[in-house]
Amino acid sequence: MDFLINWFSNVPQSAVSFALATLGLIICERSGVLNLGAEGFMLMGAMTGAGAVLAIGNPFFALLLAALSTGAMALLFGFLVITLRVNQVISGLTMVFFAQGFTTLVSTKMDWTNKAFTGVGKVNFGWLVDIPVIGKILFGQDVIVYLTVLIFAAAVFLFDSTEQGMRIKAVGENPEAADSAGVSVAINRYLAVVVGCMFVGLAGAYMSVVVAKIWVDGMTGGRGWIAIALVIFARWRFWTALLGAVLFGCVEALIPRIAAIGLQVPQYFMLMLPYVATLSVMAWSSLRRKSNGAPGALGKPFVREERS
Amino acid sequence: MSSVKIAKKSIVPEADDASGTMLVLKNIVKTFGNFTALDDVSFGLKKGEVHALLGENGAGKSSLMNVLCGLYAANSGAIYFDGQPVLISKPSDAHSLGIGMVHQHYKLVKTFTALENIQLENGAGPYRASMKNLQQRAIEVCGRIGFELELDRPVEQLSVSEQQRVEILKILTANARIIILDEPTAVLTDEEANQMFGAMRSLAATGCSVVFVTHKLREALNFADRITVMRAGRKIDTVLPSQVDARSLTNLIVGENIIERPQRSKVVGAPKISVSGLSKKGENGFNTLNNLSFKVNSGEIYGIVGVGGNGQNELVSILGGLSRADSGQIELIDHGNIENAEPLELRNLGVTCIYSDRAKYGLANDLSLAENFAISGVLAGEFGNRYWVNNRRIRSAAHQAIETFDIRGVRALHQKTGLLSGGNAQKLVIAREFSRKPSIVIAHSPCRGLDVRAASAVHKHLIHVRDSGGAVVLISEDLDEVLQLSDRMGVMYKGTIVAEFSVPADRNNIGRAMTGHA
Amino acid sequence: MRDIKLKSQRNLFQRFNLEMREHMPVAQQALVIACGLIVGLIFSALMLMVSGVSASDLLNEFIISIFTNSRNINAVLSFSAPLIIVGLAASIGFKARFWNIGIEGQVIFGAIGATVIANYDIGPDSTRIVLMALVAALFGMAWMILPLFLRLKLQVSEIISTLLLNYIAFNFLLHMLYGAWKDPVTSFPNSKIYDMSERLHKIATLDVSVSILISIVLVIVVTWILFFSRFGYAMKFVYANPSMAKAVGINFGIMLSVAALASGALAGLTGFTISAGIDSRLTQGFFVGYGFSGILIGFLARNNPLLVVFFSLMMAILMVAGQTLQVFYQIPFAMVQLIQATIVICVAASEFFIHHRIQVVS
Repeated sequence: MDFLINWFSNVPQSAVSFALATLGLIICERSGVLNLGAEGFMLMGAMTGAGAVLAIGNPFFALLLAALSTGAMALLFGFLVITLRVNQVISGLTMVFFAQGFTTLVSTKMDWTNKAFTGVGKVNFGWLVDIPVIGKILFGQDVIVYLTVLIFAAAVFLFDSTEQGMRIKAVGENPEAADSAGVSVAINRYLAVVVGCMFVGLAGAYMSVVVAKIWVDGMTGGRGWIAIALVIFARWRFWTALLGAVLFGCVEALIPRIAAIGLQVPQYFMLMLPYVATLSVMAWSSLRRKSNGAPGALGKPFVREERS
Repeated sequence: MSSVKIAKKSIVPEADDASGTMLVLKNIVKTFGNFTALDDVSFGLKKGEVHALLGENGAGKSSLMNVLCGLYAANSGAIYFDGQPVLISKPSDAHSLGIGMVHQHYKLVKTFTALENIQLENGAGPYRASMKNLQQRAIEVCGRIGFELELDRPVEQLSVSEQQRVEILKILTANARIIILDEPTAVLTDEEANQMFGAMRSLAATGCSVVFVTHKLREALNFADRITVMRAGRKIDTVLPSQVDARSLTNLIVGENIIERPQRSKVVGAPKISVSGLSKKGENGFNTLNNLSFKVNSGEIYGIVGVGGNGQNELVSILGGLSRADSGQIELIDHGNIENAEPLELRNLGVTCIYSDRAKYGLANDLSLAENFAISGVLAGEFGNRYWVNNRRIRSAAHQAIETFDIRGVRALHQKTGLLSGGNAQKLVIAREFSRKPSIVIAHSPCRGLDVRAASAVHKHLIHVRDSGGAVVLISEDLDEVLQLSDRMGVMYKGTIVAEFSVPADRNNIGRAMTGHA
Repeated sequence: MRDIKLKSQRNLFQRFNLEMREHMPVAQQALVIACGLIVGLIFSALMLMVSGVSASDLLNEFIISIFTNSRNINAVLSFSAPLIIVGLAASIGFKARFWNIGIEGQVIFGAIGATVIANYDIGPDSTRIVLMALVAALFGMAWMILPLFLRLKLQVSEIISTLLLNYIAFNFLLHMLYGAWKDPVTSFPNSKIYDMSERLHKIATLDVSVSILISIVLVIVVTWILFFSRFGYAMKFVYANPSMAKAVGINFGIMLSVAALASGALAGLTGFTISAGIDSRLTQGFFVGYGFSGILIGFLARNNPLLVVFFSLMMAILMVAGQTLQVFYQIPFAMVQLIQATIVICVAASEFFIHHRIQVVS
């Protein structure tokens, strides 16, 4: 029982980075822009967040700066795929390589690597945290965890009940229809890409600033790719994505605890767990239904005049 | 086209009378690379009239209207609205002027409801309030012109004519003054077409102007106040329906007299292919094919006519080996059952398919003419062996084919196929398919989008296959085409052949069968 | 009703029209790409200067000494052999629109396969090296089977599945190197050194290993298959229009499978080339950089095997330069990655002008 409480109370922290990254990707992809650069944006956010904390001190400010810097990188990505209409697969992959190189370089030059710092503490709910079983799980988290749920609610509201959300969806499903209706495909896509990538960067920053409280080269370890798979699993819907993120948070939080319950599994096989889980999830997703819920125009650049 | 005419027509004395003109396009030029779509075209529209823009495929009618509604930017020329010069460089400019267009390929977001699509186009102010407002307006408009439509269903669940109504509502709820319809009856039954034109007539009576783009003579003569004819990117003339007849109009459209006379088969032989009991369940659970059966004899063209969406695509896909039916047989007499055969095997047996979606199934636009021509032969081993493809032989065969099949617009064999015009591209497909002397041809809308001359050439090739003892299945939505070419025909409705006729046949009976009242 | 807008002047954005260009002659395309390359190199030079490399040093180290210093030339040739093979691996997959991002994982398993043969001394001494190569290719191919199956039967994107397998492969490698295959002498996480019969030796008097010959042979074979054989002819259609390919009678499933498995096999072979040709053992980080280098080479070369050679040489020069940067200027190897990404961004951006035309409206 204690094991379970211990396990579950660590899940939210693990889940948040998956959740925010997946949310950002969904926002980006609902507008029709395929984003395979998630790993790169997360790295960028992680490094900038850690660097900002080391340079300035205030972790919340650092998170904001991380999001903004990832937004700047997203502008480059957006320019490539929206204005220049470059193949979105190659552009996304290039963003990953770019970020890998850039973050290692800058963090080495600025001597940010391997420097621990204090991060964000847990929110004080007073006596609530002492409730048996659920106390620690529900009330013993840092403020970002609670904020994440609010962010999800806001995203759902935006997409289902506002004009802007409708425009983004239209641009992703059928850009010709949107263009013909007077909706600017380019502007709405830029908006979705930059805002979405900012959340992906925030997810990375959360990892370095709040969870690990340190920056190490390549510390995102493939979470960006898992987030991409989660988007497919969630069929581009927000609440399902949150569910998926929680599930993966459970898997990740379980890894260091398996030895504790006496299961003798080779260390490196344990580390494979999230990736195996992702593969299974993707296979299972495809088995469930024929149509996968992807936005109709995902991955296709838009040009207004094309001779039929 | 049914023989029912619309009761009331407004009387316009002279075709070129400039009074009451609200919109003028002057000297419009539009080019795409080396191709001139619009060559100094001028066009005038009066208030409250229903105006037909008539011409064959590729004449430039759609291009002209695309310029008017801001989707294309003209290279040069001017537009005057109520006498004032205006600039239309993007769709929202046309919006502001009260110009709306219903395209041939509907610009609807499939996953949105009808109301949401209207909101996307015309939304103003706070979201909820705007939606409510538009809903009221839509209901009011529907009542005014006699439309029935469910506003809260996702558009992908609506029928094609219902989707068209959503498009029309998008425009009318924005208080448009000019409505443009691009080939509006291409996917409608006669009855639905009548309803639609009736609604347009009511609209014109309230002071709106309606322009409809069409290649159907009868439509222009029956429903328009004035007719403007375009050919090869130029405007030829503007006439009154009372001043012309079918023959003189054809002359204006094509520039010469091309009349195809029906040629019935001389020798009909034994059955060659027999389809029995084909059934297939679609994605939404309903049967796309429902116990479909027909037989075709050698030396015969069997036409299958029907409104699009009644299972034709699925039938062709199964006949071509691209998908499998859930049950039923396809028998090639003297060979056996082929319902499970792969496309390559079918081709080796002499069965070839001409698909309606040429860009998807017919040609690879980024590859060269030679490659698109030769691939079938290469796969069959006619141009070298597995380890060495004989390019020299391919080149000479391709040159030969271009001559034989009259493919024009070819500057070099290695040029990209995407550069060919529609008619010539289709001739290339036929060159590839027919140069292997098929004995069974399945042709699905082979002349869609082709001009009269190219269509006539395609028809000649089909007839040639038939006269050599082959069997041809011609699946088309164009009743005129089917009546002209077929020896026997069937009507396809909801996945099955509901009635068969021998040709010549009564159009009314056929029309009834097409709507399910056989 | 919205107000009527009467405008007789166009603003800046409305003066231009974006149009798809239908065709550009090959020579012109090459020029555009070359411009993109040059712009990318200029940005890279700027980045290097910002990091502390002076302009004159740049000229010396990277341009002149690469071509004059014989040790550098050998290093370039040495690096380019595995790069060529991995570039071919990427290209062959991309030719069928199979995005093999898992090249790194297949390289790892290829080297693991070769090491199995080497460690357990399987097969006669004289032919062991050949067996190692074959097994490496086989292991690389095997690591491709799951993603291929998932793509064919379940339409699971191979981008993600091959990529996840990278991480799994890497963890497996660490498992072996820290466990059963730890060096018995030093206890470091690398395998025991290969025997002489298990290494790729240098060619005669040159200081370059046989692997360069292997890569040239592979280039010839792949070029033949893609440009002269029936398979290659059909593959053009698989890339250009899969639906039409199926309709015309090409067996799409088989074409995709052959391309994917060949890609995996070549990647596995690359692993062999590195472990048997350069390191002479299996190490923790031997594969770093080859995976995405291969993908980038494939992209830059437009999947053309002959251009793969050109861009592999370019990447090899970059890698040798990167080593110099590390040693003499303390600039981490990540700079090479950054330069690679910058070059690809600039070349990809320049392709805009190949496919589009900007028209001025009157």
